[in-house]
Amino acid sequence: MVMGKLQVAPGDDVAAGAVVKAEEISLLADGELEVERIEGVCTRLRDGSSMTTWVCYHMIGDALRGSSAIMPGFAARFATRFAEEPTVLAPPRRGPAPAAMAWAAAATVAAVSIVGWVAMTTLPMGDGTLPAALATARQAATVRAADTRPVVNNEYLLVHQEYSPTTAIQGARPYLRAVAATDPDARP
Amino acid sequence: MASLVAVPAVYGQDAAAWLQRAAGAARSLNYVGTIVYEHGGRVETSRLVHLLESGSEFEKLTNLDGPAREVIRNNDLVRCYYPDAKIIRIEPRSFRNAFPSLLPQQLNALAANYFFRKGELARIAGLETQAFIFEPKDGLRYGHKFWADIASGLLLKARLLNEKSEPIEQFAFIDIQIGVKLDRELVKPPFSSLPTDWQVRESPPGEVQPQETGWVVKDLPAGFAKVVEGFRTLRGKSAPVAHLVFSDGLVAVSVFVEPVPPTPQPVGLSQQGGINVYSRQLDDHLVTVLGEAPGATVRQIAYSVAHR
Repeated sequence: MVMGKLQVAPGDDVAAGAVVKAEEISLLADGELEVERIEGVCTRLRDGSSMTTWVCYHMIGDALRGSSAIMPGFAARFATRFAEEPTVLAPPRRGPAPAAMAWAAAATVAAVSIVGWVAMTTLPMGDGTLPAALATARQAATVRAADTRPVVNNEYLLVHQEYSPTTAIQGARPYLRAVAATDPDARP
Repeated sequence: MASLVAVPAVYGQDAAAWLQRAAGAARSLNYVGTIVYEHGGRVETSRLVHLLESGSEFEKLTNLDGPAREVIRNNDLVRCYYPDAKIIRIEPRSFRNAFPSLLPQQLNALAANYFFRKGELARIAGLETQAFIFEPKDGLRYGHKFWADIASGLLLKARLLNEKSEPIEQFAFIDIQIGVKLDRELVKPPFSSLPTDWQVRESPPGEVQPQETGWVVKDLPAGFAKVVEGFRTLRGKSAPVAHLVFSDGLVAVSVFVEPVPPTPQPVGLSQQGGINVYSRQLDDHLVTVLGEAPGATVRQIAYSVAHR
C-alpha cells in the first residue's frame, strides 16, 4: 500500500480546552506543534484518556512507518481486525484530484485499521476505557489521513526548481518530482 | 551570529569544490542511466539521457513505470509529453539562476547552516563514489547526503534526511555510463511533428523581473536570505503571481502570492517527497510556500507573509 508520512494541517483556531485535541496530539507526536503550545498540551496530557491517545499515536506512527516490533500473531490479528473494521472514507473535499482522494481514503482505511489493532493489542481490556480511547484515536487518525494531500501544485513546483540550488547539482533529476506529481488533466 | 561569519577555509573549499564539481558534471558530461526515485514509500524508475553537443545541452527523462511520461529539455526549453492524455506541455525554463557559481555569501550561508563532512567511500551503480554530508545545525532544514562519482564528480545518489536522520526522499542511479559518445537520436522527441489530436499547452516565458511585490516575510527562519523577488505570469493564472525566493545556501523556499482563485483551493500542509507545501488564505490572497524544507519551516514562512 502506498503510504507516506501522515500530517495534519493545523488550524488557527485550536482553543485551549480541558482535553487535549486529537490534532494537537498528532502535531506533538510529529514534532510540529508550535513551541508556545507544547507546555499547555503536555500539562493537559496528564488527563488519562489524552495520555492513552498519545500512546496510541506513537504506536500508530511506528506501525505506519513499519518500524514497530512485530509481535507474535500480529499478522493474524491484524487480518482479522482489518476484516472487522468498517470502511471509513475520508470526507469529500472540494478541489483535489481523484487520485488524491483515493490516496487519502486508502490511507484513512489503513490508519483506522491500525488504530483498531493498536488499541486491541496495547490497551487494557474490559475496564471501560477502551471505547472512548479508541474513538478518540480513530478520529485523530482520520483527520491525519484526510489532511494528507500529496498533490503539489505543479506549476509552482516547476517554477520553484529554477531557483533551487539542489536542482543545479542534480541535473534534471528533480524533474522526477514534477513528472511524478503531474496530472495534465487536472490543469486548466 | 558574528562567529558564523568567519567561514573555516577548509569548509569553504571542500563544500564548494564538491558542489561546483557536481553542478559542472551534471551540465557538461554525456551520461545515460537508470534512476530510482523513492519518496513516501513509493518507488519510481526512470531512464535519463544527457548530452552536450556543440555547446547545446540535451536531456531526456522517461519514466519506466505507470503511465508513460517523457520530459525532454534542450537548453532552457522543456517539453513534457503525456501520451495517455495526448497532451504536450511546453515550459520555458531557466536554470542559470540556481548555482551560477558559489558566491561568498552562499558559502557563508552554507557554513552557518550546515556542518559539512566527508562520508564513506561506496560503490554505486558499479562506480566508486565518495559520500559527503551536509548536516543541518538546527531543525529548520533537512540533512543532505550526496554520493559523487570520484572520477567525474557526477552525483550518483542523493538523499534527503529528516530531523531523525530518516530518509524522506532519494534519487539513485542503478546503472550509468558516463563520458560515452551518445547519439542525438536518444534525446529526440517521440515524433517530429505533433499528431493533430494532441493538445499543446504552452507556458508563458517566465523569468522573474526583479521588483518589489508589496509582500514581505516578517519572521524569516534563521539562515534564509532573499534571492529574488518579482512577479511572474503562470499558465492557468489570470493575474500575475508574486514570487519570492529565499535560500539557505543549499535549498530554496518559494513564496507565491496570488488573488484568491475562483475555484476553492486546498489549504494547509501537503508533502511530496522532500518538498513541503503550505497554503493559507490571507485576506483576499492565497499564500503558498513551497520548498525542500520541513513542514514547520514552510508553515512558519507562510504565517509571516504580510503586506509590506
